Amino acid sequence: MGYSYMASDELDAESAEGALEQKVWKEDKKPYRGYVPWLVAVIMIALWWGVTALNLFPPTALPSPGAVVHDFITVATVGYSGEPLLTSTLYSLGRITTGFIAAVVVGVPIGFWMASTDWVFLAIDPLLQFLRPIPPLAYIPVMIVWFGIGETSKVVLIFFCTIPIIIISAMSGVKSVQETRIRVAQCLGANKRQIFRYVIFPSALPEIFTGMRVGIGIAWTCLVAAEMIAASKGLGWMIESAGNELQIGVVFVGIVMIGLLGYGMELIIRSIEHRVTPWKGKA
Amino acid sequence: MISLQNVSKFYPPTQKGGKPVLAVDDFDAQIEAGEFVCIVGPSGCGKTTVLNMVAGFESVSQGDIVVNGVPVRKPGPDRAVVFQQPSLLPWMTVFDNIGFGLTLQEGRKTRSHDKVAKIIEIMGLKGFENHFPYQLSGGMQQRAAIARALITEPQMLLMDEPFGALDAQTRTDMQKFLLTIWDRLRPTVLFITHDVEEAIVLADRVIVMTPRPGRIAQVIDIGLGRPRNWDMVLSPEFLRYKKEVLHILRPPHSQTAG
Repeated sequence: MGYSYMASDELDAESAEGALEQKVWKEDKKPYRGYVPWLVAVIMIALWWGVTALNLFPPTALPSPGAVVHDFITVATVGYSGEPLLTSTLYSLGRITTGFIAAVVVGVPIGFWMASTDWVFLAIDPLLQFLRPIPPLAYIPVMIVWFGIGETSKVVLIFFCTIPIIIISAMSGVKSVQETRIRVAQCLGANKRQIFRYVIFPSALPEIFTGMRVGIGIAWTCLVAAEMIAASKGLGWMIESAGNELQIGVVFVGIVMIGLLGYGMELIIRSIEHRVTPWKGKA
Repeated sequence: MISLQNVSKFYPPTQKGGKPVLAVDDFDAQIEAGEFVCIVGPSGCGKTTVLNMVAGFESVSQGDIVVNGVPVRKPGPDRAVVFQQPSLLPWMTVFDNIGFGLTLQEGRKTRSHDKVAKIIEIMGLKGFENHFPYQLSGGMQQRAAIARALITEPQMLLMDEPFGALDAQTRTDMQKFLLTIWDRLRPTVLFITHDVEEAIVLADRVIVMTPRPGRIAQVIDIGLGRPRNWDMVLSPEFLRYKKEVLHILRPPHSQTAG
């Protein structure tokens, strides 16, 4: 049926017209695959449940999903060490968001500056490469001495761990701009500011978004380290503290929460990326 | 008027201690206002370098390029360029791409909407204003690029193998289309191509270049009359011109050039 127009030269005019009417635009439908992530989640939980039901490991090492759900409800309602889960989550989210946004706000201009000016690159690059391999745990004493045990030291730690990747992505985004596109602007009379605004900045955006997606992951991995600095709230603190008390179920609640929140933030950045750089990968 | 006065271009040596590479050697030519000149030559003959120097993208090693009495130092809106590769900005709609020159001069808010809309209609891009470049065919993208170059009404149009990536049918359509536009607006055109037929079909004058170092081998006036009739590509005069150019590019006794 769908291919009837292929034989249209054999048809008389009248039925050819009929065939024409049958040619309607049909959207290419990809098979629905949205269930795959949910299926993976279900299988993982089922495996987890299976392993615990067989008692392969002692429950103090691997609690069952049921036990974790039970601990989740306890932590969410009664709280852990007097801190409800929501409070801890909000504190952690606040630290992550502040540190990460500060890293983007400061890192992107530094990256642009490094890409456009030789001596700035030569001045900052060694510092950056020097700081990059230092694990967040190593910063903790320094952070406490410099910034005390309040919120500042925690946010600054996240900031320092996240900013290198943001700087590097902004810099490489600027460097990847196509020469032809700059020339297009030049020969239409663009000044330096206009070239930056209309050509260089949009060219760098896709790489900046990639850097942000990697960066938000790094920020979460720094959280436990950041909340080892004399915290009494926060998911990292909860994991650390519950681990010391062998409350392995609470540790699992914290791990799952961090995983889900990190995933959620990734999805948010991804959707902003789709909206801001719809051309990505197509040109 | 574009005047190239004994222009040479050296590139730095490719290896340490090597000799500088002479890309263009003693290129001397005058292009009158409103004239359509094609430079034809094999790839690697330095023809794009000549255009880049006229555009102001590359500096001249020796000699001078003077446009309307002013030596060329940098790119400027008096010399619009159409590039070989698709060069539309992927983050702008077709409308914004075509209006880019006006945006730069007058600002995005204050630019003349009608001017953009009019050239979109002339270029046959109506209905695609809000599309992004990646949603257009190659021919449409190149039409949009030409529209972008024309919107500021430049006196000079520099075209670097603009139809090189198009299929034969689209290419012919674009050539006809370019001549119609040229007839209407009469900009001075410097058109680079490696396609001998394209050069003869379009140009008032064809500058034939030989490769390494790029030199002018010969300048041929094309007396085919205007407006060009497309049947003429089969005419004896056309074939005579074609033979003449091909003889320079591929001398009968040589197998190497081309």
